[in-house]
Amino acid sequence: MFTRQNRSNLYLIAVVAILLIATIIFLGIRSNNEAKNIVEQQFTSQQLLLNQQISRGIEEFLNEKILLIEIIAKQESKVPPDFFKSNFKTIYEESSGFFAIQYVNESGTIVSGYPEENLPLGYNLFENNRSSAFETVQKSKETYISDVVQMFEGELGLFIWVPLFIEGEFKGTILSIIKVSDVTDRFLKNYSSSGHVYLIDKSGIILYDNSNELQLNKNYLNTTDEINLQQGTIFQKQINGTEGIGNFFETSENGDRVKCIVTYSPIRWRNQIWSVGITNPVSNVDSLIHSVYVKQGAFIVLSGIFILTGSMWIILLLSKWNKILEEEVAYKTYEIKQSNELLRSANIKLKEVDQLKTEFVSMVSHELRTPLSAMKTSAEFLKEDNCNSSVKAEMLELIIRNIDRQTRMVGDLLDISRIESGKIRFNPEITDLHEIVNLSVKNVYSLSKEKDITIHVNLPKDLPSVRTDKDKLIQVFVNLLNNAIKFTPTGGNVEISSVEFNNFLEMRIKDTGIGIAPDHVDKIFDKFYQIDSTSTRKVGGSGLGLSIIKGIIEGQGGTIRVESTPHVGTTFIFTLGK
Amino acid sequence: MEQEQIDKEIFRLVEQKPEITNQELARSLAIPENVVKERLQRLSDTRQKILIVDDELDALIALKRALESDNYNVVEAADGLSAIKKVKTEKPDIVLLDLMLPEIDGFEVCNRLKSDPLYKHVPIIMLTAKGEINDKIEGIEMGADDYVVKPFNLNEIKTRIKMVLRRAQD
Repeated sequence: MFTRQNRSNLYLIAVVAILLIATIIFLGIRSNNEAKNIVEQQFTSQQLLLNQQISRGIEEFLNEKILLIEIIAKQESKVPPDFFKSNFKTIYEESSGFFAIQYVNESGTIVSGYPEENLPLGYNLFENNRSSAFETVQKSKETYISDVVQMFEGELGLFIWVPLFIEGEFKGTILSIIKVSDVTDRFLKNYSSSGHVYLIDKSGIILYDNSNELQLNKNYLNTTDEINLQQGTIFQKQINGTEGIGNFFETSENGDRVKCIVTYSPIRWRNQIWSVGITNPVSNVDSLIHSVYVKQGAFIVLSGIFILTGSMWIILLLSKWNKILEEEVAYKTYEIKQSNELLRSANIKLKEVDQLKTEFVSMVSHELRTPLSAMKTSAEFLKEDNCNSSVKAEMLELIIRNIDRQTRMVGDLLDISRIESGKIRFNPEITDLHEIVNLSVKNVYSLSKEKDITIHVNLPKDLPSVRTDKDKLIQVFVNLLNNAIKFTPTGGNVEISSVEFNNFLEMRIKDTGIGIAPDHVDKIFDKFYQIDSTSTRKVGGSGLGLSIIKGIIEGQGGTIRVESTPHVGTTFIFTLGK
Repeated sequence: MEQEQIDKEIFRLVEQKPEITNQELARSLAIPENVVKERLQRLSDTRQKILIVDDELDALIALKRALESDNYNVVEAADGLSAIKKVKTEKPDIVLLDLMLPEIDGFEVCNRLKSDPLYKHVPIIMLTAKGEINDKIEGIEMGADDYVVKPFNLNEIKTRIKMVLRRAQD
């Protein structure tokens, strides 16, 4: 189906199509990656923002609690008789979040507080070796927050120590306790965005984790075996109080390494620094752009199909085009061959015509020269004047006979020339065929008498007249009768008859002559065609008579044909229009 | 009985009996007397014999009469085959051969005669028309002794006949 050129075209198109598809896939992957990066960035910054918001919330909440206590500590001019119990009650009830608020007197004994069921009244710090924070605030005169500790109740708690100085004299501290779970329940438990949130304090202890992957109250900074290095680095940054973004890989349940995005933001309050972190596996981001991937993929596949279809189409078009071209070329070649063939045959025909013309000219020259030759010899012989009278008469007769012959020949040549060039003129008139036939028979009478040949005229009385050229019709009859007489042996018969048809008459001239052999019948109307030159010479024809007759009959719309049986006779049949 | 045989028989009988009459000859050969007379006349004809070969009867007759008046014995043939036959029966001294002949043409006649050792000595003058003049070379190569272009001058052809005959006698 494909030629070599076609195949190379095909390869070229295939290569171009593959290149195009590769380019589209490459660009698609690139744009996917870019989109992914952008989405990741956006996602991360949004996560960071959320993270900051959570941190600020917790920070404000905790600082507000401290502020409330500090206001109480500063507004009193002396230790009230109920040891701040009413104040504590007001704060506790109005401001949620406190687990307990208590007054520790200067000797380190818890003397009052609210609500009482949450505090061990009469508990002495010094006696129980828990006086370090108490002593710290006494010395620093600043509020102090001790590290998260496990309370008696088993929960993690925050201890906020606010020193009480009245007129420069240390009067103990107000110790308020906040349960970590109160804080985390308020701010982190309701975290509903994707990923996990966790809270870590400045010593690296996990205070909260909603993923349950990290163990509460455990310090991961010292146990590097349980978390990976990257996460450890992030914890380190968090306890330093910085804010930021990070990545780490964790191993998922089915053993894959999953990339996680971490954002973190610190909570600063007094001497403490906490940090809220949010982790999100990248797959969460990927799921966000999954639909983008699907669309991109669809686009790539569609483009590929489009390109493949397009190139197939082009290939088909090219091959079709080629085919059309080939067909065109074949057709043109065929046409050229045809016209060559035509030219060749035309050339052959021309050569034949030329040959015929040459033959004709040589025939004519021969026919004209022959009588001249005879006349010249006779005339020169007469000139010598040494012949007797009978020979003299014979010579003169010969000369006259040849002059007649040549005259006839010239006339015939003129006729044939007019017929062949189409310049023959007919003067048609209403003609009575009886008259014509009678004239013609009279014309050949002496000849027929010589050979004792009877001419029978069998024409019906009511033969219709025809419209034709009278003189030329006589010429036709005379010629045909002459021929008939010439080729009929002595004592034979010639018959003239007619058959009437709708539009024309058919004239028949039949003889009982020598006939014409079948292979000569077709040629007898050719110029100078002589079946046997000796016999023709014997009867002295020009060789043009039948050609001229044919020209005359056909020139007036008739036809002429011959039927002949050798040794039986010949019939010439020609038609005349009515 | 063939002409040649008749001639031979006549010749034999006359040799045996020189005073034999025509009547006796006719009787012994069982043929009409006038045939014997004609044959004798022929045999006693000592004129030089010319064979004219031409299919044009008028041209042939004119030349025949002219040559007869010059005291030649003229025989004629109208086509190639009868020309060859006549050469063999009449044994002419010279042949005037027209080129354009029915059946076989003048060249062929010339060719056949010149390739026959019995007749190749018979001189041939070709009669050609002017258009066929290129053929003269072929004619001479074929062995024709001379050629004359038609329409010829009577004196010219007579002279040429004399020349060719003299050459043949030498």
